[in-house]
Amino acid sequence: MRWTYVLTRLLQIIPTLILAAVLVFTLVRLLPGDPASAILGDRATPEIVERTRRELGLDQPLPVQFARFVGRLLQGDFGISTSLKVPVLRLIAERLPVTLFLTLYAAVLGALLAVPLAVLAAVRRNTWVDAVIRAVFQVGLSLPVFYIALQLLTLLGARLGWFPIGGYGDTFAEHLYYLFLPALTLGFNLAAVLMRTLRASIIEVLTAEYVDFARAKGLRSRVIMTRHVLRNAMISTVTLLGLNIGALIGGAVITETVFAIPGVGRLMVDAIFGRDYPVIQGLTLMFAVIVSLVFLLTDLIHARLDPRAQHA
Amino acid sequence: MNRFTRLTLALGAALTLGSSLAVTRGGTMVYGRYADSLFLDPVLNDANLDIWILTNLYDTLLQPSPDGKSVKPGLASRYVVSPNGRAMTLTLRPGIKFANGSPITAQDVKWSLDRARNPNNGAWNGSLASITSITAQGNTVVLNLKSPDPTLPAALATFNAAIMPQKLFNAAPGKNDAEKAKAFAEKPIGSGPFVLSEWKRGSSMVLKRNPYYWQKGEDGKALPYLDAVRFEIIPDDNTRILKLQAGELQGAEFIPLSRVSELKANPKINMQLFPSTQVNFITMNNRPKLKNGSANPLSDVRVRQALNYATNKDALIQVVTYGTGKPMRSFMSSTTPLFTAQQGYPYDVNKARQLLQAAGFGNGFEVSCLATSGSANDLALLTALQQMWGQVGVRLKIEQVDAATKTARYRENDFQMRTAGWTNDINDPSQITSYFAIYENVESLHTGFKNAEVEKLFAQSQSETSRVKRAGQYRRIQDIYMKASPIVFLYETPYPVALAKNVRGFVQIPLGNNIFTATSLEK
Repeated sequence: MRWTYVLTRLLQIIPTLILAAVLVFTLVRLLPGDPASAILGDRATPEIVERTRRELGLDQPLPVQFARFVGRLLQGDFGISTSLKVPVLRLIAERLPVTLFLTLYAAVLGALLAVPLAVLAAVRRNTWVDAVIRAVFQVGLSLPVFYIALQLLTLLGARLGWFPIGGYGDTFAEHLYYLFLPALTLGFNLAAVLMRTLRASIIEVLTAEYVDFARAKGLRSRVIMTRHVLRNAMISTVTLLGLNIGALIGGAVITETVFAIPGVGRLMVDAIFGRDYPVIQGLTLMFAVIVSLVFLLTDLIHARLDPRAQHA
Repeated sequence: MNRFTRLTLALGAALTLGSSLAVTRGGTMVYGRYADSLFLDPVLNDANLDIWILTNLYDTLLQPSPDGKSVKPGLASRYVVSPNGRAMTLTLRPGIKFANGSPITAQDVKWSLDRARNPNNGAWNGSLASITSITAQGNTVVLNLKSPDPTLPAALATFNAAIMPQKLFNAAPGKNDAEKAKAFAEKPIGSGPFVLSEWKRGSSMVLKRNPYYWQKGEDGKALPYLDAVRFEIIPDDNTRILKLQAGELQGAEFIPLSRVSELKANPKINMQLFPSTQVNFITMNNRPKLKNGSANPLSDVRVRQALNYATNKDALIQVVTYGTGKPMRSFMSSTTPLFTAQQGYPYDVNKARQLLQAAGFGNGFEVSCLATSGSANDLALLTALQQMWGQVGVRLKIEQVDAATKTARYRENDFQMRTAGWTNDINDPSQITSYFAIYENVESLHTGFKNAEVEKLFAQSQSETSRVKRAGQYRRIQDIYMKASPIVFLYETPYPVALAKNVRGFVQIPLGNNIFTATSLEK
């Protein structure tokens, strides 16, 4: 793999971030209602609202506010949350690992569900096995995340008592245990998406000439499946998985609320309702970085699986 | 039955009775909150999320009584008002300490109250505005007043008048009061029954028992009974209930009213409806013209009265509050001191039609109401009102916006109607009255209501030391307000809290404060 390729792709992230910063700065200010009145609620007198606006620097013209925001950003300062009154970076540092853990966990569970079932469905295509697997995932695609979450909680959490209802735990093992149901919720949805593509690609690859050739060579079907079919069928699936990480983080917002997980998804929702500009801005930039990096990683894996991609 | 058996039985009964009377000490109560606190400074805090927890960490000179109607001694064992009403002398309890063991001095009290009444500090300083100066000596504190202030005892029992350790606060890093408050609030030390020991924002907060707390329990030893209270933040209503049912929580707040009867029937759960000061109503823009310049039918008092008559409160209480509410009989809740029940507007469609006819709206009109998007209560309420008002020809348009937008539009008087709720922060009718009926404060909840007699009576009531006379002033204010009906009077609702069966002695007082001081977990 060429390092210049990686470096170029890394540098390409910078304009994305600048654009994201400008966009989010303008967009949140287009929303009616400002942090001062959102924090103070209905009761505050106009004088108190005015004083708070001054303290938060919201009385300054927008270009001045933007210059201050960028100036601080360049020094690595994301500002202080207007509602929680703590530095945004600290909030992100506390919450981000939780969401990343959940997202990765969901991706792993999703892949663990999707790959074997896709293979099974493809190999047994148009039989009842295929039909059942596809039907289950079709349901998974059409049910809203919060509904699946609540059903899992009620059955496996409350009724059977196998899993805790909500929370995050303190140790790695506890995280795995506490986050199992939410990760399964998100993973199931993801698996439904992945399964369809993977099944289709496997079927396509299975009919390719090189597979016939491998079979003619007398290779065992397990070897054909892992070495030839899956490797080629995975290319599109990896891309899809990468594209879906963004969606996973989005899905985490709902999952984190239902399962009471203190991640960035919930932080973002609270920040938007509270018009907490510094938090919204900080989180958006962070999401932009993560999504860019995931796309980069996806491209790299893609390139690894299919060397032609590097030169494209 | 022989004598021996009888004796054993009697002994057994006596023992069981005895053990059921003793309070269990120790244990951690896990309590599910719907959202986390934001900022734990008594003076600079912003919301109920803080206020309702602060009293566990910081103590005040006086305390609100559990029924919300009066005050009782706190850090001060007694207070005396001078004959001319211009001074209040408070005596501190002997030997009281902060949670780190350092003594609470009269100087701490003076400094705390001076900070709380500083007009540049926070939104709550108005409650102590009558104080002109404070002198501290030995164990007494004297508050010198501009004029007699009947609200002062209640103000001293309110969260913002909490007593803080001056030296510790000043030792916190930061250039000014606001910065020091930020640092101090991360690890606050007060003299309340509990002290903050751990806070994972958005996830959990642990309050440990304050070993230096002054108040004694039933067993003669220091309160609180619990070793700790652990708050877990669980925003989703269903999840909070599931967690309680699974035994992972011993208490859960803000149970949706739709689930109350189901939980009442659950033998493992003690479903409580604590009386609150919460009133639910619809504010109306009373001005002749709306922000966009169009004419506003709601400026006619007959139209506002008609809408009140056309509102079937009992039906709404069934539909929206599942039978847990009761009709508002004044703008203030029946738990507010000096509340006087008014006749109000019994459901009467004919009267409503006559009033509309007289006001020139015999054919009805269209009116729009701002609602909080995502609020099931708002939607249930307004759809029911659509039908009720439809019978008298009033076509209600529902405009759903998020809370911040709603507040912003409201502040600019850019609304015709809006769903609203209110809870008191102080054990006195003056706060709610100044917001609802006094134009200068927030344009009477932005309704634009203004009444010279109300303003005069209110001003008088603020320095009226005779409780009887003051009650008379408030009776008149409530009467005038009801007749002018700047709002649509709906219903009062309680605080629904679900507890595990073994929880004893937990109260949420009408002001909303969660009191864990005498809470225990029985075995």
